[in-house]
Amino acid sequence: MGTFESKGAMRRTAPPEASVMNGTEGKYSKLKALQALIGSLFSGKSDAGESLGNEENKTFWKKQKSKIQYSIYKVLLVTLYLVYGCYRYCQYEWNKMKIRMLNIIYNPSNTPQLIRQDVTKLEKIPKRLAAILEMKSESHVGGGSQGLMNDGSEIVCWTVSAGIKHLVLYDYDGVLKKNVQDFRKDIRNKLSKYFGTSHIPKYAVRIPHLNKIYFNDKDSSSTENHKVAIEISLLSNRDGRETIVDLTRTMADLCASKELKLGDITMSLVDKELVHLVGPEPDLLLYFGPCLDLQGFPPWHIRLTELHWEEDNHDVIYSVFIRGLQKYATCKINVGK
Amino acid sequence: MDGTNKMPRCSSISEWIKNTLSRTLKVSNCIPKHVGFVMDGNRRYARKNEMEIKEGHEAGFESMSRVLELCYESGVTTATVFAFSIENFNRSAREVDLLMKLAREKIRQIAEHGEMAQRYGIRIRVIGDLSLLPKNVLKSIEETTELTKANSRGTLNICFPYTGREEIFHSIKKSIEIATDSQTITESMIEQHLYTGELPQLDLLIRTSGVTRLSDFMLWQVSNKGVVIELFDCLWPEFGPMNMAWSLLKFAFRKYFSVKDNKLEEDYDEEDEEQEDSVDNREAYSVKKNM
Repeated sequence: MGTFESKGAMRRTAPPEASVMNGTEGKYSKLKALQALIGSLFSGKSDAGESLGNEENKTFWKKQKSKIQYSIYKVLLVTLYLVYGCYRYCQYEWNKMKIRMLNIIYNPSNTPQLIRQDVTKLEKIPKRLAAILEMKSESHVGGGSQGLMNDGSEIVCWTVSAGIKHLVLYDYDGVLKKNVQDFRKDIRNKLSKYFGTSHIPKYAVRIPHLNKIYFNDKDSSSTENHKVAIEISLLSNRDGRETIVDLTRTMADLCASKELKLGDITMSLVDKELVHLVGPEPDLLLYFGPCLDLQGFPPWHIRLTELHWEEDNHDVIYSVFIRGLQKYATCKINVGK
Repeated sequence: MDGTNKMPRCSSISEWIKNTLSRTLKVSNCIPKHVGFVMDGNRRYARKNEMEIKEGHEAGFESMSRVLELCYESGVTTATVFAFSIENFNRSAREVDLLMKLAREKIRQIAEHGEMAQRYGIRIRVIGDLSLLPKNVLKSIEETTELTKANSRGTLNICFPYTGREEIFHSIKKSIEIATDSQTITESMIEQHLYTGELPQLDLLIRTSGVTRLSDFMLWQVSNKGVVIELFDCLWPEFGPMNMAWSLLKFAFRKYFSVKDNKLEEDYDEEDEEQEDSVDNREAYSVKKNM
């Protein structure tokens, strides 16, 4: 009770707004805000009334007040939600329309020449490109693992056409990795659609985690010509934190067997090992979802990666790809400066 | 006379709006627990407004305290700010000195009587590779940390000098040092030994000045599934409490309706507009849910 009275006394000396500014302690803060509100409305009248009341009355009023306050804030919150909701609805429609427009402007229509044309205008292109893919539910159009592979192979075609040599495809659950044989066929089919059956570019699919590499769609035993137009790495959640844990364990074992000193473990050693285990850091990361969620993408590998996604977009579309490249072409990286 | 009267009046009104807003957001119960900030653009701000670089950094500090006040007031318990990157040592010696001096001053100021740390009961922590810092800076950091150690309502992590990779590396090394058997090393162990180990998971990352990179900030934490990344085009000193309230509202709104998604459909028929909106939200979240 003492605190309450002393607060009341303070309010009488200070202007109401100032007491709001000071009012930052615990549950009293809300109370004081309302007190100040009432105070400013009735300018001092309520003060007199309060100080006259006995103690029981005060506790009663205190409870009532905090209840009222709580409801006031709730009402305010609902209003805010409503206003924001309306705004969000408009924004959503606007973004959808923007994406539709972009789809009309940037339409590759399965021709590498058109993509080439878009890309040659750019000042620089990334050496390594990464994309996060999400599997949609089977009931959706283009959902399920089939849809995911279709999306993946589409990106492969764009990347080859753009002249980028390395592509990282990431999906959280590793669906692409599990269906790598089907995926290779899918890539072949898509590439033949783009380049014609007689000119299918050579490609390699790598699964760093299993340390496997597949060339074209034949079985990997053939070691003839390994010059490829594109190398595709398939990553999943497994290659992120878990790989870092694995590396730590290995180093701990080496330390225990005195093969490695603790002092020998340096940033560059860890970096070297992780590049070896997962691959180098991509320059540009594309995300084909409504708002960026990295979903466990290898944390070591996104240090300076440029991120690109289109708000409220749910599909793997060419306009995200090309606009990502355009953004990358204009960005300037200056580490630390 | 009029002018001098008007000014404090104006600021107290905006203060009042700020407080009401933050309390309103607080009752939503959907506020992020841990927010990270990449405070980018102080120097560009100085250049743009033809100030000295020092003034730019000072404006950035002002902006930081205003934003943090709103955060703590609305129920955020932990904030992590990227003040100085290890890479920033590559800047000119003069600027590095200046930043060190400024940091020393400001870290002390935050913990002063009646300032933020005391008002909100916040524990100040300075995280990063502290061995790179000059002695006198280290000393004031220790003093401040000691002074605010007992505060338990919230935490402010000042990353100084810090990089995300160094943090992961530091944790790896620590884990190896502690572990008796390599099999005892797990993901959660590495997570525990990060500088932000015992604190709540990062929920929201805010970056200003229109750059779409993480620039080596909280890599491990941000790559976690479900972390929301908000990018703003304005420079950090221009980023005010209103922008912050906006992103908190956005966060709360999304969280509120995505939680509702998993409940029964009946919850929807409250208000017409809200329903209309939740439909669009349901669409947005169906992708996430169906992963």
